[in-house]
Amino acid sequence: MFELRNVTKSYLTPKGRRYVFRNLSLAIPPGKNIGLIGRNGAGKSTLMRLLGGADVPDSGTIVTDRSISWPVGLTGGFQGSMSGRDNIKFVCRVYGAEGEAMREKIRFVQEFAEIGTWIDEPIKTYSSGMRSRVAFGLSMAFDFDYYLIDEVMSVGDAQFKRKCRKIFREKLKTSNVVLVSHSMSEISKLCDIVLLVKDGEIEIYEDVIEGIKAYSA
Amino acid sequence: MGAVWILIEPICHLLIFSLLYTMIRGRTISGVEYPVFVLVGMAPFLLYRNTALRLMDSLRENRSLFGYKQIKPLDTYIARVIVEACISGLVYALIVFGFAWWGFDMSINNPLMWFMTLALGLLFAFSLGMVLALITHALPSLKLVIRMVFFPLYFISGVLIPAAYLPHALMPILLLNPFLHLTELIRGEVLPHYAMVDGISIGYVTGFTLVLLFISLGSYRARRLHLISTKNG
Repeated sequence: MFELRNVTKSYLTPKGRRYVFRNLSLAIPPGKNIGLIGRNGAGKSTLMRLLGGADVPDSGTIVTDRSISWPVGLTGGFQGSMSGRDNIKFVCRVYGAEGEAMREKIRFVQEFAEIGTWIDEPIKTYSSGMRSRVAFGLSMAFDFDYYLIDEVMSVGDAQFKRKCRKIFREKLKTSNVVLVSHSMSEISKLCDIVLLVKDGEIEIYEDVIEGIKAYSA
Repeated sequence: MGAVWILIEPICHLLIFSLLYTMIRGRTISGVEYPVFVLVGMAPFLLYRNTALRLMDSLRENRSLFGYKQIKPLDTYIARVIVEACISGLVYALIVFGFAWWGFDMSINNPLMWFMTLALGLLFAFSLGMVLALITHALPSLKLVIRMVFFPLYFISGVLIPAAYLPHALMPILLLNPFLHLTELIRGEVLPHYAMVDGISIGYVTGFTLVLLFISLGSYRARRLHLISTKNG
């Protein structure tokens, strides 16, 4: 479960402070797959980063008792000039996978992302599709209670999307997902609950169809 | 190309100034060959300068890594210092071996104190770099000014000439600069017959470093949440 208590988040821009959320309080029930929907710039990714602890609110607290992955996004938490393998190793070390466990994860990512020998090229030479495949595969190599997935699946080709859904079904037996997506079919297939982010407010819809309707309206 | 440049930069500096100096004043200074004299002071100075300046960019360069909540801006600062120190150490060792092979006397008079002073200087550069990084995070346009300030520092820190050659009337002001103390101390520890100017003290550098370290860590603590916030800096 997640609980947000009086969360305020703003960013300082050259033109002054812009508030994304003000005094936001809500509780998300445990054991649900959460879909985040909303227009571009509404604050979906910010909310996801807050949930994952990758960003901190100006005031207020976010409480959870679950392990949460890093936000898996299109830009990816990668150092561009290092090779794919080095980046994978880096994340493995951050999450405490050493030795045989690390080699196992590298093999997994290499196979899942189908990058073959590209794994030893710098990440900045990858296409966006390749990068998101590596980012997604890397997060799947670790066990978390919640996976934070930010539009990664939408850039892949049809075959990769199938693969993603397959491994997702496997993972979702034991874990949950927080999914940011503009693809409503994906949301309705994978999520049990929808959070509509709109004008700094968040509306919770227990019924996914209803949430999608409210978004499209 | 970048890898070659880190080796070529100090060698270029050395060659140009050695040539200029030999043409103007003759070949030796304080009883040692001029290139040796310059190398001993210049290598640490370049390390400190690079460390301090590169810390200003480390936040921007490693932005994507802050997605992992375990990684904090301070980690990237420390990592940058370690990388810079390793690179400089390697380049310095290469040049020293080159010089020794060429026939220069590269022995170090007081190796333990020399190493201590180098470490102190690195700590100073780290504190300075962190303060600069925090300042330029708040005011990014200052980056250019700070880079320009480091250029005259090269000349008033006694990198190319002994501090004794600097104008005596200005000495009280010049001695406020910890870099001058550091280069003089390092030279004094490497070269057996080097005469430091009056007023050089390791106490001053230590005090300056501690105060700066306190300020930098304190302001880092106060600003740490702003630093990972994605939309600024």
